[in-house]
Amino acid sequence: MEPLEITRVRGTNDVVPPSRAHQQSLEERLRDVFALYGYEPIDTPVLEPTDLFLRKSGEEIVARMYSFTHWNRNVCLRPEFTASVVRAYVSHLQDRPLPVRVQYAGPTFRYEKPQRMRHRQFTQVGIECIGADGPAADAEVLAAARHGIEAIGLKDWRVVIGHLGAVLQLLAQMGMEPHAQTLIIGAMEHLSRAPGEAGRVVQRLAALLGGDVVAGADESAGEDLVELLRSFGQDGATRVAAELLERANLRLEGGTRPPGEIIERLLHKAFRPDPTPALRRAIDFITRLQDLAGPPHETVPALRQLLAEFKLEDGPVREVERALECFDAYFDSPAPVQVDLSLARGLRYYTGLVFEIYDGEDNQLAGGGRYNDLVRALGGRGNVPACGFQYGLERVVAAVEREMAAPERVPAVAALVVPVDPKDYAAAARLAAALRAAGVASELDLRFRGLKANLRHADRERIPIVLFVGEKERSEGVVGLRDMRVFEEARLAPEDVVATVRRRLEAGVPSVAGPVG
Amino acid sequence: MVTRAMIRNSSLTSQSDVLRLAIPSKGILEDDTIGFLRGCGLPVDRSNPRQYRARLATLTGVEVTFQRASDIFAQVDEGNVELGITGYDIVAECRAEDDRVVVLMPELGFSQCSLVLAVPETWIDVWSIHDVAEICVSRRSKGQELRVATKYPNLARQYLYDHGVNYFMLVESSGALEAGPALGSADVIADLTSTGVTLRENRLKTVAGGTILTSEACLIANREELAKSPSKLERTRLVLEAMEAYLRARPFLSLTANVQGGTAESVARKIIAHGDVAGLRGPTVARVFPKSADDDEWFAVTVIVAENRLQEAVDALRRAGALDITSVRLSYVFESKAWSFEGLVRSLHGERADGGRG
Repeated sequence: MEPLEITRVRGTNDVVPPSRAHQQSLEERLRDVFALYGYEPIDTPVLEPTDLFLRKSGEEIVARMYSFTHWNRNVCLRPEFTASVVRAYVSHLQDRPLPVRVQYAGPTFRYEKPQRMRHRQFTQVGIECIGADGPAADAEVLAAARHGIEAIGLKDWRVVIGHLGAVLQLLAQMGMEPHAQTLIIGAMEHLSRAPGEAGRVVQRLAALLGGDVVAGADESAGEDLVELLRSFGQDGATRVAAELLERANLRLEGGTRPPGEIIERLLHKAFRPDPTPALRRAIDFITRLQDLAGPPHETVPALRQLLAEFKLEDGPVREVERALECFDAYFDSPAPVQVDLSLARGLRYYTGLVFEIYDGEDNQLAGGGRYNDLVRALGGRGNVPACGFQYGLERVVAAVEREMAAPERVPAVAALVVPVDPKDYAAAARLAAALRAAGVASELDLRFRGLKANLRHADRERIPIVLFVGEKERSEGVVGLRDMRVFEEARLAPEDVVATVRRRLEAGVPSVAGPVG
Repeated sequence: MVTRAMIRNSSLTSQSDVLRLAIPSKGILEDDTIGFLRGCGLPVDRSNPRQYRARLATLTGVEVTFQRASDIFAQVDEGNVELGITGYDIVAECRAEDDRVVVLMPELGFSQCSLVLAVPETWIDVWSIHDVAEICVSRRSKGQELRVATKYPNLARQYLYDHGVNYFMLVESSGALEAGPALGSADVIADLTSTGVTLRENRLKTVAGGTILTSEACLIANREELAKSPSKLERTRLVLEAMEAYLRARPFLSLTANVQGGTAESVARKIIAHGDVAGLRGPTVARVFPKSADDDEWFAVTVIVAENRLQEAVDALRRAGALDITSVRLSYVFESKAWSFEGLVRSLHGERADGGRG
């Protein structure tokens, strides 16, 4: 029986020639742009402790991680770079002068439903600027992002700029607990995708925060108890609860939580207000931010009004304005910018300005923002403000391929060296070695296909120069040369071959794979 | 009826054409499965109870193998057997996106149970899954994880993620899970329960919204193996026909009663007027030939009724003037097609037409 073919894991891709060469050249061009801004390469492991992403990355991403236990250690495939880079910064780079500018590229993994433009393994190419705060640093990251998009020749794109400050301020003003804040920020992303669902979102969050109860018999019993305890007032309730339990000989020992903690939480539940009104206010605010999204000159004044209506500082709007001013200074032409303060990215560690870049078909090509708490959350010394962004390389490649004509097939080599007979192999190999030493990429025929088949092969693969050694050449001590571009043949002394080939490649029809250095 | 000749015939069938059906080899699940197959008219013929291979007495070309319920999914997925009967809980836990298993019948009507999240009874502040989520969050702020003991790590993990519980550790325990919270090796458990007795005995309680999965025995198949062999596919159709007809018949009884009346039409009309007993399509009315000639015209009326409406139907028949009401349980109800087989055929043509769940 034939062995079965093994297919790749669902949601992953093989990037085969010539696609990989194209992908790689785009990646290099993006990274060259980062280098122009002084971002130095860094690399971190694909495998990370699961804890790294549990700290701050947020529920959504945690639920989509490839995480597993290997020999009793919880590890995962990194779902993104920023947390890894910050971890590396904390272990190695804290003594460097700030800001530390680093750039990276590599595979990241998320267990999501595979669809067009969404794969389970994807490549992030990005930068982090650690240790610089404010619009100047935000603008540099934005500028690098735009610069890269333009460097690879994309014309049809736009930036959406947001700022989490407005929403975070409102939540703090209402005294929302951190858990509730995280949940609401998480809901922002969902709301931006499904704007009509505000009511449902409020309901779901209220349930998650213990406000609304799930239907069920146990529930109403619990609610009655809570009502009763509430009628005693906080102090009275504590005494009543303790005494009731004692008299009923109801011992709370036996589980893994101390009895005190259980009573305390029971009463805390009884006395905390229903979170629904606060949630409704927060979601209403987010929906209105979303409605105001648009070009800066229209959106900014309207945002100021809205913030005033909710009695919030206009700090976030000012920061966006100033970042945009700084951003504009980098370029001759203004960028197509939309301001949307309801923009939330899939990650929970952002604290300030965030942005996303989209192509003409609304595919997200890049995204990033400011995360001023992450360094400390990962054990760094003090408050180190930071920001960064990443491109999704596969999406960038797709956008480039859509916008531009398919790149011309570039031959892998500039010369094909043909030993007509196995006896000619040594001479041909020496020839190929000499060409390679001179920087001419050369393919050596390993299958002894004969001259005719090799010429066909060179023609098909657009290899400009074919060199051959057969019986005749061997006896005469020469090397045959065929220039495929001009159908010229020549016979050369072996010592002249390298110079002749280089001259022809330099003079003739330009060839990408020609001599280097 | 099984005959010696049939058994001889089946042993003549070449091995590669034999349809293999794996069933549980232990405990109540084994007994229930054998009982179910008998009910379907597919009694298992095992030469001795220690044998791990057997035949179906009434259907040739089917080999029954006895396996651990937990192994049956893998056996089917790997193609060592084509069909398997096992718990849906195991199927749901073991599934992979690219597996070759199709659930032919998700509900065989026995071995019902639920996979639930259970917490210590002493947690009087906890009555819904949202309380568990909140405790998880407050532990997380102290750098502690909620420890969940389970034999169903995949289902438990997905359920917890779906309910906002993200910072937890699964304690995979093969022994008595229920003791985990009392022994301090776990905070909560995710385990099977059918009556709730074991949970109560271990001072555990379920929480609202805490049902992770409801499960019963189900029939699964390897779609690729069946696609390869028309003869195995045909035998699968026969198995499905029998199971469907049995399950379809189970809730129904057939009632027969004698009714006096002028003509068959008038009797039928009388019965239909008491709509509750009109049967699946309508009553069957047949002439009765009385023993003594001077009796009036008598007719036998046969209707099909749901078992849980038996008493109502009897009363309705009485009101229509019926006497001598007898009842028999239906063995099988066949429809025009075996619908689960139609689903299988669609699935073999590339659609993922699972039996409703998962």
